[in-house]
Amino acid sequence: MKRILVIDDAATVRLYHRGILESAGFTVIEAVNGLEALERVANMTFDLYLVDINMPKLDGYGFLRELRSKDIPQAPAIMVSTEAAANDQKLAYASGANLYLIKPVRPQRLLSHVLTLLGLTLPNPDHSL
Amino acid sequence: MATPLTINDEDFLKFREFFYRKTGILFEDSKRYFVDKRLLERMAVTASENFRSYFTMLRFQASGEELQTLINTMTVNETYFFREEYQFQCLVNSMLTEIIAHRTTTTPIRIWSVPSSSGEEPYGIAIYLLEYWSQLSDWDVEIISSDIDTSILNRARQGHYSPRAVQYLPATLLNKYFHRDGEYFQINKELRDAVEFTRVNVTDAAEMRLHRYFDVIFCRNLLIYFDDLSRKQTAESFYDALNPGGFICLGHSESMSRISALFRVRKFPEAIVYQKPWGVK
Amino acid sequence: MALTKAALQPTTTDDERQHSRDQAGLLLALADPSSLVRRWAARDLLAYPNASAALVERLLIETEPSVIEVILTTLTRIGDECAVVGLIRCLRTENAMLRNAAIEAMKLLPDEVAPLMGRLLNDADPDVRIFAVDVLESLRHPQVESWLIRVITEDAHLNVCGAAVDLLGEVGSECARPALLALKQRFIDEPYIQFAADLALTRIAAG
Repeated sequence: MKRILVIDDAATVRLYHRGILESAGFTVIEAVNGLEALERVANMTFDLYLVDINMPKLDGYGFLRELRSKDIPQAPAIMVSTEAAANDQKLAYASGANLYLIKPVRPQRLLSHVLTLLGLTLPNPDHSL
Repeated sequence: MATPLTINDEDFLKFREFFYRKTGILFEDSKRYFVDKRLLERMAVTASENFRSYFTMLRFQASGEELQTLINTMTVNETYFFREEYQFQCLVNSMLTEIIAHRTTTTPIRIWSVPSSSGEEPYGIAIYLLEYWSQLSDWDVEIISSDIDTSILNRARQGHYSPRAVQYLPATLLNKYFHRDGEYFQINKELRDAVEFTRVNVTDAAEMRLHRYFDVIFCRNLLIYFDDLSRKQTAESFYDALNPGGFICLGHSESMSRISALFRVRKFPEAIVYQKPWGVK
Repeated sequence: MALTKAALQPTTTDDERQHSRDQAGLLLALADPSSLVRRWAARDLLAYPNASAALVERLLIETEPSVIEVILTTLTRIGDECAVVGLIRCLRTENAMLRNAAIEAMKLLPDEVAPLMGRLLNDADPDVRIFAVDVLESLRHPQVESWLIRVITEDAHLNVCGAAVDLLGEVGSECARPALLALKQRFIDEPYIQFAADLALTRIAAG
């Protein structure tokens, strides 16, 4: 079962992403900010990260930089943001994101990116991820 | 109007999200009965007509007292020897190892236990070090324990405990470090002499200034009862109370993630703890 | 070597003793090269509430996160108009850490921020409007629900509305129903808005 860490300070956004990802067979774990996300990472492994940028205590950039500096198996990270400025994209990739998307992300688009990054195709109903 | 007898599903979800946001504690669906019962109790006590009015009061009460009371009822608070023992294991197996590896002098290792409550935690740390830390013969260790309540400090200095408080201690340790005093067990003088008890209000910057140069701080199940600003302020004081590379341990259901970004998360085999970075002031 | 009884160590280090602890000394210490000295100064300045202007000025140029945090704690405790205006200035900083920390601080000053909220919700910058909605979460103010309803009715920006809908689910009442339904119509092609509005509609009915 592929496990995805969804990091966002807004509960509704986490729930929205959870719904999309669970319907495709992923296991979703949540965190409200970059610090809590690092604690999740300390406790379990993830196959993908879905990271909001603006969060209290430790934002998305800070989390990713910290994550990428750790000597643990790394996984792809999708950064999502309400911001569209080019600077933020550069910063996202510099922090270690694999992909940068503008919020809100449409369900099919999110799934398609997630599957691509995980090297998967949409599962046959008989198979689980 | 009678207080309702049940919490509906949407209200439970609303409450759960709020509580998780505030405390980091997430109630599984299996805890539904546990949560509903306590919510209904608090609604009755506060004479709240319905969940909505209770929830509004909870969210906006300036003193934060109801939230703190609610947290109190939702978390288990008993104090006893070797509570959350995995952190003591982490101390002797991991934290101290790292600390002494960075030491260039033989100044004492200083451990701070806050709140002292009736002393179970600091005395428990002392016993653990005596029994399980192989390097104790090479290092001086100072244990300081503090509380805001002077009468509880006096009780701690006396070191009398009920059978309940010592129930999780192996019999060998109980016999070795305590003697029976009627119904109670008193901890031996050797240990009572090993802990320095001080009065401190952790939210008072001047008092906190006197508590410095610690290598490890145990602050378990205290911050959870503070309002957000006091919690943050206290964490910042703890940061200055620690040596660079010093560790702080919170209660198992607590996390720095809602308190302060100053500390780094460190995962050891026994526990997750927080650390002031090496090489900073 | 063993367990030894401790003495408290109240001694201060040399660099700490350099500045006096009166207001003048503390203000000097706010610019000290040592971050420890700056932190202590920021903490001790709590005793001098009229220092909030100096604290704000330092905040805007401070780079050491631990000092930023302590300055913010002190400003939040002082909570005067100068402190609040200073926090609002931080909303526009490029320093994301400072911006997010300032939002958190404002959430702890609901009564002080309330008078300025109307203006913030009308700010030209949609990000500032999103931050303003975020701060509303902690505001006990009779106007919160009507502010949120106005946002979802009038704000052109999708994510500002998204932030407002999220909060309406927690604090909204039946009064919000018509506006939520209208929002769904306005952003009929946006799955997130449909999701968030439906969630809010379920939550407000329950309360």
